[in-house]
Amino acid sequence: MNHIQDSSMVEFLISYQQPAYRLAMSYLHDREEALDAVQSAVCRALERQNSLRDMGAVRPWFVRILVNVCLDTLRRRGKVVFVPPEALDTASYEDPLPDDGTLYDRVNALPPEVATVVKLRFYEEMSLRDISQVTGWNINTVKSRLYGGLKKLRLSVEGEELS
Amino acid sequence: MKHHSIEEQMKEARQVYEDTPIPQELEERVRQGIAQGRARRRQAARRGVWRSLGAAAACFVLVFGALNLSPTVAQAAADIPVLGGLFQVLTIRAYHTEKDGIDYDLDVPGVEGQGDAAQRVNQEIQERVDALTAKGRQDWEDYREAFFATGGTQEQWGDRKMDLIVDYEIKSQTDTTVSFTVDFFQGWVSAAQQRYCYNLDLAADRDITLADCLGENWVAVCNDAVNQYIKEQNQGENGGYFFPADQGGFTTVDTSTGFYINEAGTVVLVFQEYSIAAGAAGIVEIPVNVD
Repeated sequence: MNHIQDSSMVEFLISYQQPAYRLAMSYLHDREEALDAVQSAVCRALERQNSLRDMGAVRPWFVRILVNVCLDTLRRRGKVVFVPPEALDTASYEDPLPDDGTLYDRVNALPPEVATVVKLRFYEEMSLRDISQVTGWNINTVKSRLYGGLKKLRLSVEGEELS
Repeated sequence: MKHHSIEEQMKEARQVYEDTPIPQELEERVRQGIAQGRARRRQAARRGVWRSLGAAAACFVLVFGALNLSPTVAQAAADIPVLGGLFQVLTIRAYHTEKDGIDYDLDVPGVEGQGDAAQRVNQEIQERVDALTAKGRQDWEDYREAFFATGGTQEQWGDRKMDLIVDYEIKSQTDTTVSFTVDFFQGWVSAAQQRYCYNLDLAADRDITLADCLGENWVAVCNDAVNQYIKEQNQGENGGYFFPADQGGFTTVDTSTGFYINEAGTVVLVFQEYSIAAGAAGIVEIPVNVD
């Protein structure tokens, strides 16, 4: 068995607390819930650290845990209606965006799967490969959700190389 | 018309994101999560397989000698009858403390009985506990030395620690017999666990053997059960852990094969880590069902 050292995991979790909180906050918009989400994600990360094979992949691995905690919280709140995967890929879901919101609000108003890709790409500067690891979708799916999301945000994507 | 890059267009949103106020208690919450996660991991490692006497037994210490550790051991001796018959199996030493970077979590069982078999078992368990703690301390010392010798700093060392755990589980009991297992665990950068089995007939003052349980054909009966089990496992979705027979895999049981007798009276064979399967399979337990 390949055990990641407890101390390198702890070091990472402490150093990554602020980005983790910001990401949680962007889903939950509630200080207490975001703190709870970070704490549960940290706890789960240590509990399951044996499922991480390579410390080099710790960030996408941890972000995956955190995003799942946040989505679970949203589900429990019943505030989110999850869009069927086919609809996400064709960006044919109903446009939830208020045209007058700030771009930050409009990103958050995207379906959570699409918002996740946009946030990780532009806020966390993750590569498409890492995003694919976080979400468990293949790169093409990640790409199409990213483009779909940007289109919904009315951002021009002509000639942009996203990878 | 000049297009701004996506990054530029997202700049405003990213700024809002980065300006998210960070609550003061964040660090404290993260540390709580860390402590919680560590505790759960250890619990999970012990759960199910490693249940000792339960709440009634609590933590009682009768003797504490050979370990020669710190004197802070709780001296809460109590003589709680656990089994009722001719004898008892109970925690004769409990040691839960952290010392020199090693986290000890020892619940050492012993058989209370006058016979030679009980004494022999107690002595063997004691020797294994001594060996575990000696090896643990030596490994830890070597690791620490190597860490600093290769340029590690005190800061990088941080709060590294090793876990040493001894725990036991009574599998079944009658007025005159008992079957129990004792687990020895050492965990730090790597983890190793061993499970030893004890089956005693105190009336006859001797070990219970596989032949006692399964009759004169015990070797064939056990081998069939093991081969069948391996075949099924290799076909299942987690298959492939078992080594082939010609590459260090299972060949046959013998008188040294560990086993216990569960509540239902079924013999369960116990194979140590790496003995017949890859480490990922852990300790392998195979019930021998006789029809």
